[in-house]
Amino acid sequence: MTLLVLEHVGIRFGGLKALDDVSLLVAAGEIVGIMGANGAGKTTLFSLIAGHQKPGSGRILFDGRNIAGLRPDAINRRGIARTFQIVRPFRSMTVRENVMIGALFGTGTDETLAAAQIDATRILEEVGLAAEADLPAGALTLAGQKRLEIARALATRPRLLLLDEVMAGLTPTEVAAARDMIRRLHKDHALTILIIEHVMTALMELGRRIVVLHHGLKIAEGTPDEIAASPLVQEAYLGQPAA
Amino acid sequence: MTGPRASSLAIYFAAAAAMALLPFLAGTYYLGVGLALLSWIALAQSWVLLSGMTGYISLGHAMFYGLGGYLTVLTWQQWPLWISLPAAGFAAAVAALLLGWPVLRVRGPYFVILTYGLAELMKFVVIDIEAKLGKFGRLLMGAPSLETLYWIMLALALVATLATYLVRRSRFGAGLRAIRENEEAAETLGVPVVRFKLFAFAASAFIPGIVGGTMALRTAYFEPFQAFNPVVSFTIVVMAMIGGSDDAPGPILGALLLVVLQELLWVNAPELYLIILGLALIGFVLFVPDGLHGRLSRKRHGSDGRSRERPREHPA
Repeated sequence: MTLLVLEHVGIRFGGLKALDDVSLLVAAGEIVGIMGANGAGKTTLFSLIAGHQKPGSGRILFDGRNIAGLRPDAINRRGIARTFQIVRPFRSMTVRENVMIGALFGTGTDETLAAAQIDATRILEEVGLAAEADLPAGALTLAGQKRLEIARALATRPRLLLLDEVMAGLTPTEVAAARDMIRRLHKDHALTILIIEHVMTALMELGRRIVVLHHGLKIAEGTPDEIAASPLVQEAYLGQPAA
Repeated sequence: MTGPRASSLAIYFAAAAAMALLPFLAGTYYLGVGLALLSWIALAQSWVLLSGMTGYISLGHAMFYGLGGYLTVLTWQQWPLWISLPAAGFAAAVAALLLGWPVLRVRGPYFVILTYGLAELMKFVVIDIEAKLGKFGRLLMGAPSLETLYWIMLALALVATLATYLVRRSRFGAGLRAIRENEEAAETLGVPVVRFKLFAFAASAFIPGIVGGTMALRTAYFEPFQAFNPVVSFTIVVMAMIGGSDDAPGPILGALLLVVLQELLWVNAPELYLIILGLALIGFVLFVPDGLHGRLSRKRHGSDGRSRERPREHPA
């Protein structure tokens, strides 16, 4: 079953085409990796799907319905959750209270704070933040705050999870731990995942399929091996300097 | 998100009981002071519903106070009080809904300036209307007794305090605080930010509208410069800041402190009051940003526990 469809999606910032005629199909249960250099349009792609920006052209279908132009909270309530590359914790709330917000809102069924507290505590165990549950979120390490982003998103009970560089800035050990965690969450929560990552090995290990963006264009799509062998990708990454 | 503690509930009840006994014990002077205290508690609690919870600092609550007063005065001796006072509240809430739609799109200092400007605008609109009607101040004949007004105000203060207390412990309140901490993150997690902000704005205008109506009856005189006096807005903000604006005890502490101060200075040095108000605000913002209540509850919980620090402006 196809969960997410992007049809000829584009957006301009002034004269710059941040995304140009990008089409993409994502099946339910897939993990799709998104790669590309800085400024390639990866985060913009997430912003369009999650509703933080309106596409200038094209349609975005989630579960068969066009969601382009809906507000982010409406899109989240339909089952799409995203994390932010630059973490945005609710700093003066505790770690648990942060996750409770996701559980109380989102697609959530939690009407009461008590129910949200139980769910939040369980999710914090899943992402390995149980010991930090009562700390103010601002006191977490970067790795911890990235996990908190995932925990909050997970608490909204999404079907599609957009992970934006959740491994950037982490040590190799932390990267391995994060990769294992994402695999586990994918399985346990029956998630479909789109993941942007600069850590190439982790991305290659997670995604069966990888999409490469370059200057707003989709230049390649395929298995990790196909991507590694693609001359277009090699040129974009290694060859001609970006003009 | 703390549950109700028996000790703090007992303090609420004791305070409410003391205020309920006042009409039987005190003379006119102290009853008047009590009325003022209750009115400020009602106003500051209402302000906290919007500004304390969401971080959208309103400097325009005098607008709702003045509107409520104006409506009550216009309908005086035509509508019974039990209709005109609630109507004053609804008028203020509707005004907040209409204005909130465009105004709540801007954040931070822009929102502060806009609310202040709108309150001033509203003041001059009413002044113009009154001038067209040939009215330069209206005298109210047969206003209710001080005691009657005191009971009304006690009810308003109790309802406003209860509202803050309950919202602070609700799903709605959790959503509002998430907006205060980081609005974009909140909407990404499904918090209906537009609806919640509008509703908080309207809720926060409702009781000030009724307070304004009641206070117009208290002075038995209506004059726009007085009813829409921006000092009302300033005082609300200072009270909430000094007391702490994250939960119900804060506004009570702040109002109590400033009303006592006001009474002490009134006779000897009325002009000193505003200066001290300003200094107190600066002092608290710099050194006690979470207010008296925040400071006290942190002492009680130990400083290692939950941080109550005021959110800093996060980079966009």
